[in-house]
This record gives sequence, structure tokens and C-alpha cells, in this order.
Amino acid sequence: MSSTFDQVATIIAETCDIPRDTITPDSHAIDDLGIDSLDFLDIAFAIDKQFGIKLPLEKWTQEVNDGKATTEQYFVLKNLCARIDELVAAKSAGA
Amino acid sequence: MQLEYFHLIDRIVELKADEKRIIVEAQVPKESTIFEGHFPGYPLMPGVLLIESMAQASGWLLLGVLKFERMPILAAVKEAKVRGSVFPGDLMTIEASLVHEGSGYAMTEAKIRVDGKLRANATLTFTLIPFPNSDMRGHMDAVARRVGFPQQAVSS
Repeated sequence: MSSTFDQVATIIAETCDIPRDTITPDSHAIDDLGIDSLDFLDIAFAIDKQFGIKLPLEKWTQEVNDGKATTEQYFVLKNLCARIDELVAAKSAGA
Repeated sequence: MQLEYFHLIDRIVELKADEKRIIVEAQVPKESTIFEGHFPGYPLMPGVLLIESMAQASGWLLLGVLKFERMPILAAVKEAKVRGSVFPGDLMTIEASLVHEGSGYAMTEAKIRVDGKLRANATLTFTLIPFPNSDMRGHMDAVARRVGFPQQAVSS
């Protein structure tokens, strides 16, 4: 089974037509890959479906807007993947 | 249907919030200034208004599913296909279903039929925002009553 990062990178590449080899764990989805908020909805949709979770985008956005978090915490891909793994684990624990 | 006011949906026929599905009706008027230009001698319902009709049907579905706690705003149109023309006087039956409810967004699929025949379909994305002000919320409540929005759908 491919890693969370591999799956997310493939989703981003296919959804946003970004060359797969330019996407790294240290890529910032917004600053480095140029993904805007609307395109990110398509990515979130694909992630939600593939991992059976619901990315808490509203909560994250609110935290960033309130200065309680940085975009790097959620949108650098290695951090995004860590959040996904946490959500998958939490769902499994609650199942 | 009041084309000038973009009030495209006349009646909610069925709203099943638990099944995340809605059916509405929209009666295309026989006359409108829109048809004078689109097109002279061959009046047709514009394709963008078919998409808007599907968006409004989806909007009522989302209002029901979200119990009027958020307001859906059309954000993206995908795979929209106009498969046949809709003419003045046609009664459109529009069905919409929720594909996915995410955090702050939702996706629907919608279809327009006339006399049982598929005329258009689309996959739509909405952002879900708080009602911007009480006037807007009051307006939506009034329109909800006009189209027969089933209040029991949001009271449970």
C-alpha cells in the first residue's frame, strides 16, 4: 500500500495538473504549488473520499485567520499527511 | 419562475434530507425579454440558466441537509452537459443529490428533465458560508415559504 504522501501527491498531480515529480513532502500547497482555495476543495474532496475522513478545512482556516496556526502546519504536504494520518487513526479508534 | 429576479424554482416537490435528495419543479415562462434575444424566431432557455436552475435546486437541498445553518454559494461547475433544448412553456423537473458534504463545502449532482427526458446535468461545487446578515436570512425564509420548503425537514 502506498504511503499517505504518495497518495496525496498523486491526487494533487491529477487534480491540478501539476507534474508529479515537482511535488515533494516539503512542498507548500499554496506557496510552492500555487494551489488556490477553490482548487484545494477538489483536493479535499478526493482526500476525503480516498481516506474516508473529513478534512476540517473550516477549523484550520479559522485557526490560521486567528493567528493560532500557520499555513505551514496544514498545507506543507508532510504536515498535511500527518494530519490525514491522525484523522484516519482517530476514525479507526472510534469505529 | 421569475427570470428577471433569478427566481427559477417554483415548487419543491420532494425533499428527503435523510436520503440527501430533492426534486423541484420550474415552469419556464412562455414569454420573457430573454427569449426575444435568445433567439429571435427560435426562443430557447439559455444553457447558463439551466445550470443556474440545477444550482438553485441543489441549494434548496443543501439548505435542507444543513438545516438552514449555512448558505450554499455556487463555486464550481463541472461536467455540465446540455443534452437537449428547453423551450418557453416547458415544465422542468430538477433532481439533485448530495455527492459529498465536506468541511465548508459540498458537491452535488443535478439533472433536468422535461416530460421525463433528460435535458441537462451537471456536477456542482458549493462553498457553505454563514448567512451574511439577517436580511438575507429573512429573504431566504420568505422564498422558502413561497416554494413550499418542508419546514419539518429542518425541525427534527
